[in-house]
Amino acid sequence: MARLSLRPDKQGYLLLAPAVFVYFLFAFYPMLDTVRMSFSSWNGLSAHRSFAGLDNYRAVLTADPVFWGALRNTIGWTVLAVLLPNLISFGLALALNQRLPGRSWLRVAFYLPVIIAPIAVATIWKWMYDPFFGLFNNLLTAWHLQSWIVDWLGDRHYALGAVFAAHVWQSVGFSMVLFLAGLQSVSTTLIEAARIDGAGRWAVFRHVTLPALRPTLAVVLVLSVVNSLKAFDIIYGMTGGGPAQSTQMLAMWAYTQAMQLGDFGKGAAVSVILLLITLVIVVPYLRWSLRPARSGK
Amino acid sequence: MRFKQVVNRALSALVLSTVVGGAVAASAQDLKIWTLTFDSDEVYSAWTEIIKAFEAANPGVKVDLVRRSTDEHKAALRVAARSDQGPDVFFMWAGQGLGGEFVKAGLSKPLDEYYKKYGWDSRLTRTSLAPSKIYPGGRHGVPYTFHGQALYYNKALFAKAGISAPPATYEELKADAAKLKAAGIPAFTFGGSVNWHLMRLMDNLLETKCGAEKHDALKAMKANWGTDPAVTESFRELHTWTANYVLTPFLGIDQAQSFNLFMANRAAMMLEGDWLVNQLREQKRLNDFAIAPFPTGTNRLYSFAEYYYVSKQSKVPDLAARFLDYLQSDAVQQKYVGILGSMSVNTHVKYSNSDPLEDKWREIFAKYNQTFVNGDQGFPLDVTTEYFRIINGVAGNTIAPESAGKTLQAFINNRK
Repeated sequence: MARLSLRPDKQGYLLLAPAVFVYFLFAFYPMLDTVRMSFSSWNGLSAHRSFAGLDNYRAVLTADPVFWGALRNTIGWTVLAVLLPNLISFGLALALNQRLPGRSWLRVAFYLPVIIAPIAVATIWKWMYDPFFGLFNNLLTAWHLQSWIVDWLGDRHYALGAVFAAHVWQSVGFSMVLFLAGLQSVSTTLIEAARIDGAGRWAVFRHVTLPALRPTLAVVLVLSVVNSLKAFDIIYGMTGGGPAQSTQMLAMWAYTQAMQLGDFGKGAAVSVILLLITLVIVVPYLRWSLRPARSGK
Repeated sequence: MRFKQVVNRALSALVLSTVVGGAVAASAQDLKIWTLTFDSDEVYSAWTEIIKAFEAANPGVKVDLVRRSTDEHKAALRVAARSDQGPDVFFMWAGQGLGGEFVKAGLSKPLDEYYKKYGWDSRLTRTSLAPSKIYPGGRHGVPYTFHGQALYYNKALFAKAGISAPPATYEELKADAAKLKAAGIPAFTFGGSVNWHLMRLMDNLLETKCGAEKHDALKAMKANWGTDPAVTESFRELHTWTANYVLTPFLGIDQAQSFNLFMANRAAMMLEGDWLVNQLREQKRLNDFAIAPFPTGTNRLYSFAEYYYVSKQSKVPDLAARFLDYLQSDAVQQKYVGILGSMSVNTHVKYSNSDPLEDKWREIFAKYNQTFVNGDQGFPLDVTTEYFRIINGVAGNTIAPESAGKTLQAFINNRK
């Protein structure tokens, strides 16, 4: 019997085929169906969808009292979520990359919140923010700082920030681990060579460490952007989008429209808008950040 | 050769077990019931016993009860709507806004033949039956419970404020709130993060300021929210209450946190339903509280019904109807009186050895012939969401009371 033989490059396609099939079935096809649904009118219960043209987009963009606030919240959250937790993670990674006593335990401690389910994080923080019995307001009272007491989750000026603090607490460990992995792959030979040439700590960091971390940075930033744009669980668990929809986010608004209000067309339209925003941010960044690596071949 | 024999025998065993298993499954009757998580352990125990007894009385029947939180229950029903994996019987509140959505989508089986067969019209209360008749083409759903909502007040806090009797008019209610405030006691506690909690106050204010007929027209979206001065007055009253007489902060807490505050005697009143009696019983605080209807002046009780609907896709509709008949039977309703609801929907139930709060609820139910329903059951879902946003906006000072009605009307006008 003749042996089945493929050229090595063709073997790659064969090995990828099952994963591509699963991706097509559970990710790509639903995406296409969502785009199609955004041009339809469907309540999720009827057997048929009727064509609605651009009605859903028109309704979302011109007659939805919540959409633009949700868009502002989503963009603001994304910008802050890309900057703040990652700055903290990077600092922690730099610190925990040093030979410190107990650094393994510290790494575990900072990573632990990542493995807690977001809805559990939401419940923990919601109780800590309880205006009457919660940890924060009781601590402020004990420290005679009653003037600092606010309705953390009920005042629109503070609610989104309060939820964001919980998000930072939970997400810092994940990026920290990625940065740590990146730092450990920085060539020690290059660092030693730079020091021998007289480079100080800041010069070594700027000209050796940071460039070596570029692929890691790209991964961390892309993941941060994508995860921020689809922020849902923690907001759902802590505020439900309130008070008065002031903490509403696009991902949650899409869910609300479809699964709670039964307007799948509008929910799909919000999802498509969110997808376009994601692509506009992520694709150019990826092309820019990976270009020098390709030209170096 | 030996390997081939082993494989062939294994395959034959697999096919045989599938056929036999399938035959066994086909002969047993399964009844799938989807409902919400229950308010108390008492209710869960009651349901467990009811199901066991029904199965014992119907050999070969297995009842599978699935409980979910509210949002998950609605989502599961949508996902199952077009499949054969859905329930035979499902819980949903009555009214156009909630149960009506499923009826309009053709997912509820009309039950006229079972109403005739089991005589539900002569067994169940008139008020609870009313929502089954609102749909063209047949009767949908069977009443499960009928709930009223009223003012629960802390007797000790009322006494501390010098209030000797519950308010009989809206002016008295406001005067009592002022007395409570003077005594350093917030009149109400609400969980603002669950929008329907504060909505109850708004609904009662609309009933008070607009009157019954206009209120119904507004909720049916046949009257104009933007131009009626009584609507603006209602939203102004809401703002007055939330700014002066509700325990703050409240917009960031839910109804469970609000109840904890009520138990901690941090506020004098809650606007809650008859189910609270069970919760107070579990807290052993029945003697500390009393009940009075919200004094709207219209002689209508603020109430809603909970229903069980038979799915149009059910393969066992007769069994489903039989279970619902059993659930509402004289024997079951008498045995679990006060547990499934303060007042049974079965008119044959006799009440004895009940708590004063349950007696008070029965007095309230007997007094009122007419009802008005919660806003989130009367409105379509998208209008409810906007109604919630505006109520919270007025309470949170982000929407002026004068523009609240116009904002809601603009949303209604933009709907297709």
